[in-house]
Amino acid sequence: MIRLRDHWFYLVVLAGLLVLPLFTDSDFVNAVMPSGLTGSALLHVFILMFFFAFMSQSWNIIGGFAGQLSIGHAAFFGIGAYTSTICYIHLGLSPWLGMFVAAGFTAMIGAGLGLISFHYGLRGPFFTLVTVAFAEITRLILLHWNFVGAANGILLPYSRDAGFWDFQFNGKEPYYYIALVMMLCSIALVAWVARSRFGYYLHAIRQDEDAAEAVGVPTKRCKIQAIALSAALAGLGGTFYAQYTQYIVPDDMVIGRVSVEILLGTVIGGAGTIMGPIVGAFILIPVGEATRVIFEGGGTGISLTTLIQSDVGLAEKFSGYLAYLAGGGGGGLAVLLYGVLLIAVVLGMPGGVLPWLTRKRKSFAKSDKKGDS
Amino acid sequence: MYEVYIQALISGLLIGGVYALVAVGLTLIFGVMDIINFAHGEFLMFGMYSAFFASALLGIDPYFIIPIALPVFFGVGWLVHGTLIRPVVGKSHAIQILLTLGLSLFMQALAQFLFSADFQSLQLDYGSSTFELFGARVSYTKLAAFVISVGMCGALWAFLQGTDTGKALRACAEEHEGAQAVGIDLNRMYKVAFGLGIACVAIAGIAMTPFFYVAPLVGPKFTLVAFVIVVLGGLGNIPGAVAGALIVGVVESVGALAMPSPSLKDLAVYVLFILVLLFRPQGLFGGKGT
Repeated sequence: MIRLRDHWFYLVVLAGLLVLPLFTDSDFVNAVMPSGLTGSALLHVFILMFFFAFMSQSWNIIGGFAGQLSIGHAAFFGIGAYTSTICYIHLGLSPWLGMFVAAGFTAMIGAGLGLISFHYGLRGPFFTLVTVAFAEITRLILLHWNFVGAANGILLPYSRDAGFWDFQFNGKEPYYYIALVMMLCSIALVAWVARSRFGYYLHAIRQDEDAAEAVGVPTKRCKIQAIALSAALAGLGGTFYAQYTQYIVPDDMVIGRVSVEILLGTVIGGAGTIMGPIVGAFILIPVGEATRVIFEGGGTGISLTTLIQSDVGLAEKFSGYLAYLAGGGGGGLAVLLYGVLLIAVVLGMPGGVLPWLTRKRKSFAKSDKKGDS
Repeated sequence: MYEVYIQALISGLLIGGVYALVAVGLTLIFGVMDIINFAHGEFLMFGMYSAFFASALLGIDPYFIIPIALPVFFGVGWLVHGTLIRPVVGKSHAIQILLTLGLSLFMQALAQFLFSADFQSLQLDYGSSTFELFGARVSYTKLAAFVISVGMCGALWAFLQGTDTGKALRACAEEHEGAQAVGIDLNRMYKVAFGLGIACVAIAGIAMTPFFYVAPLVGPKFTLVAFVIVVLGGLGNIPGAVAGALIVGVVESVGALAMPSPSLKDLAVYVLFILVLLFRPQGLFGGKGT
């Protein structure tokens, strides 16, 4: 039985998120936020937060609960995006239905990958390497398959009178609520998994696979189910992303920011916990987007290549280079920060932010009680 | 018709030699420290940038900076081990992968910030000169890269076999507790192993710069190829890594002929990788603990 009293913090946040789109263009927001982060740009950040929270939650099942470190998870996301888009363009199938076709297809591929890997007893780093190779193979195939636009990707057809069934909307608000609902559903699903027999099995596998096997946990079956479920969610996410950005291209879909940020969100927030991926994505995305808006705005217009090839002396090149660095260099500061965050969490609070906070709160409560007595 | 295959075979062996040095660095780190280094390719990328800037800005031939780069990158590896890697030695592989993944992201982004995302390539006077061998055209720069890389592998092998430090490193790779029991300073050996591994991969990068582009995202491909080779050759097995590298080089360049598009050549390598992982995870030549 879930007691609402224990979750008041999350309920307050949820209530705030439900009414947030009413205020993104208000005077208050315009006054407080930097100029690139108001109105629909602010909504965009929240949509990304919900989306990455959802995707992190999808990774959390295989990477967190089952403890199988998959680095190629974005391949499922990419395959999902391509599947529903092909169904939409070539078969006229509404993306709302295509989404579930995509989820079914990615679940099958995930189960296949799991079946092959776990049948041959691949564990730990070997499984991780197979997922990397799988993502690379997926990317190479998409990159050379003319039917799906090869390297150019697919630009989704846009029509002015697109309706609800086309999963196309003019403003950002509909996407905001769809992403919010998807995130809430993923939390509910993972909360259910965590409390189910399946969840306890996964927990046992993560702790000690041999011991779990010895006491009769069907480890292979559980791991395959976990990767299939994970992949299905990633497929749903792929459809959402394709419909939201209206443009899919192999490099973005399989190895781009998605592949890194879904893993980062979960690990930073707390892998194998119910709310960890949400907390992680809610930290990571705003930090990343704010860094992009603040430090990677215009750039200095200095090209490093031109600077190197110019005929001026070394000293002049060097001063030109300093100006280039002062103007934000070649960008990449957001990813720089991601790297630092990941290293800091792994070294400083293994397990993630949320478990760390929970421990802090508990020890705080304990010392409080001692003070009372 | 068969000239095409001779050409592919020779090109494959030449690039395979460079892969060998990349993979030897990785397998040394794994063998001695049991660390999975996902940031391996990023050190290669920084090696390439050091050669590129030495040549483009100071006019120094990339081959001449190898004697300077060797101790510098050894020192970099030593420092990275001391600050970041040391806390995760002996921890789970998942933790190590996450840490080195963080390091690789950090290094990619740092390179993008410092050097921009532009693709750079060196234009050398002798960059495009070639000679003929068994009816195939061989470029001097690729031959030089092969000779340097295989030479470095040989030197490392001699170091591991012939010197006290080398023997101590091999002892660590065999048995950590045993090595410690006979008075080997494990932590110092880890630093040496990581320093050597990083120096190897950086030199491989420098040797490739005359004929390969440089960009912040050039690393991951080499990390993955190095893992393919290391698994193929047996984890921690240095001669195995050299043999595996030559096989991967040839599979890649002959595979390019068989594929509908030459840029699909990596597909053959990854498929080979998955097959080896599934059917012969101990590698073709046996590895640590086999």
